[in-house]
Amino acid sequence: MTTLSLTRTVRTPFGKFEFRAGRFLLHAALLTIGLIYIYPFVWMVGSAFKTPGGFFTQGISPFPSVAEGFQWDNFVQAWNGANFSRYFLNSVVITVATTFFATLFVTMAAFALARLRVRGRNLILLILGATFFLPQGYTIIPIFQIVRALGLLNTISAVIIVGIAGGQVYGTIITYGFMRSIPREVEEAAIIDGATIFQRYWYVILPMARPVVATLVMFFSMWTWNSFFIPLVFTLGRPELRTLTVGMFAFVGERSSEWTLMCAAATISLLPIVLVYIFLQRYFIEGVAGAIKA
Amino acid sequence: MAQNTQNILQRSLRKEPTEKQLARGKHSALYKNEGWVGYLFMLPTLIFVAVFVVYPVLASLYITLYNWVGVGTPTQFVGLRHYLRVAQDPWFWNAFKNTILYTLILVPIQLSLSFVMAMILNNPRLRLRTFYRTIYFLPVVTSVTIVAVVLRLMLGNFGIQISQMLGIDPPVDPIGDPRFALLTVVAFGIWQTFGYNMVCFLAALQTVPAELYEAAKIDGANSLQVALHITLPIIRPMATVILFLALLGSMNVFEQSFVLTGGGPFFASEVVGGYIYSYAFGGVGRTPNVGYASAASVFMNILILGITLAQWFFTRNLNDSKPRAKAQ
Repeated sequence: MTTLSLTRTVRTPFGKFEFRAGRFLLHAALLTIGLIYIYPFVWMVGSAFKTPGGFFTQGISPFPSVAEGFQWDNFVQAWNGANFSRYFLNSVVITVATTFFATLFVTMAAFALARLRVRGRNLILLILGATFFLPQGYTIIPIFQIVRALGLLNTISAVIIVGIAGGQVYGTIITYGFMRSIPREVEEAAIIDGATIFQRYWYVILPMARPVVATLVMFFSMWTWNSFFIPLVFTLGRPELRTLTVGMFAFVGERSSEWTLMCAAATISLLPIVLVYIFLQRYFIEGVAGAIKA
Repeated sequence: MAQNTQNILQRSLRKEPTEKQLARGKHSALYKNEGWVGYLFMLPTLIFVAVFVVYPVLASLYITLYNWVGVGTPTQFVGLRHYLRVAQDPWFWNAFKNTILYTLILVPIQLSLSFVMAMILNNPRLRLRTFYRTIYFLPVVTSVTIVAVVLRLMLGNFGIQISQMLGIDPPVDPIGDPRFALLTVVAFGIWQTFGYNMVCFLAALQTVPAELYEAAKIDGANSLQVALHITLPIIRPMATVILFLALLGSMNVFEQSFVLTGGGPFFASEVVGGYIYSYAFGGVGRTPNVGYASAASVFMNILILGITLAQWFFTRNLNDSKPRAKAQ
């Protein structure tokens, strides 16, 4: 860095600006790489506005041809014709329900393990930890059998229930670690005031565990929104129950030549999570960072 | 005499409840319901884990001993024959080789690049650092399936054009050419999870005290020396975790190959996840046999366990030997 200290300080009404050759090159590189990095997304959004012919003539250019203009109709067709409105609704219902119940159950279990005197706590923690390292067979098949035995095959509930189960072990372990670190005194004050166990969970520990709850909500909603395999397997018999990811995959198989519609459908599928991410990016990144520290 | 008094004193003291005992007594009265209410709080999680995590693991091991197409009850007992068949199937080893290649190319490239990027973005005086971080992390939050569909569209139709633009001569088809399909899947994998590791490294870098950097600067160390002799040794424990997770994630690769190339062409980019899927649900000309698919999965998980244990021993020895080497 010292070799590139061609510094020039410029005074402007907004304050002092420093121009440095090194910094400038660094920014140029970071911006270029960044643009290449998000190029697939840019191309996808642009191609969603192309005509089928324009898709080929414009190639990897992100812009629809000037002569043909923007084809908003692609979005209408993907939304209505290709049934993505239904897939969207399914994804929203599944994501909200899975995230809510998974977070509720995980925080309850972690509360009991971390803050209450329960016999066999170490054994339960050991079993939870061990499930990470067990050599597994193809567990989706027994899960499929259980869901069928419960009579839930080809229902939204099956996708939600299996989704909730999927996050329990990981969620409980990180939440347990966090709740363990909350000082005892805070809860003792509530106990002396005669708080019930439920009140201690709801009014004392849960609000104090807000950072870890935010991480859980972020992880669970991201996993569920993006999950592919579970909704694929449990909606094989009922196309109208597909989520956006499964709908997208099926779309490729069923209407393989309607590329511009595919791009429009992909844009519809990615837009919500990208918007949420951009507005809450701090929480996403802190969540990932927090999870690795724990 | 003095001895006696002391004994009496001790005995009387023993009868007096200590402060600790008092506290315990108070607590036991206040916490009297915690036992069964605690189990009530854990009940949903315990049921979910028992039914959808523990039972399926055990059942999937049992299935490996049977020939079974997936419907009805498995009846034809084959013992450990499925395991023998997996171990002797050249297509399994082809998929395994691809999985290992995927891991061996992806992990070193991605971890070194994301470490360097984290070092750059860790500078608090760098403008737009949040913006860059947001961009590089973006692929992590998006669905692998949908992005793979988009990339398949882009590379399938215009891949040759892109390779021409990059100056590759003769131009190559990144998805259709069996020599490059796996590399394309690897590149997709690097792109998709790069931001995740970058953020993990950024979190690790936060743990390095700023005074150390200042001290090194005063001693006249350059950036490379600082990175090698200050940053890396301090973040080593967290870097080990990052490496462990990256290896584990790469060896479980499935969707990247399944959606982008379908494992093709001619199984050139098939990974073990796809091999197992095709035996569980059919496809690519294979007859479904759930017992066999499950055996392949157990076999693969044992291999992965072996590799991660080896990695753990290796990094542990590395962590141990470093300080000793310095002390000599």
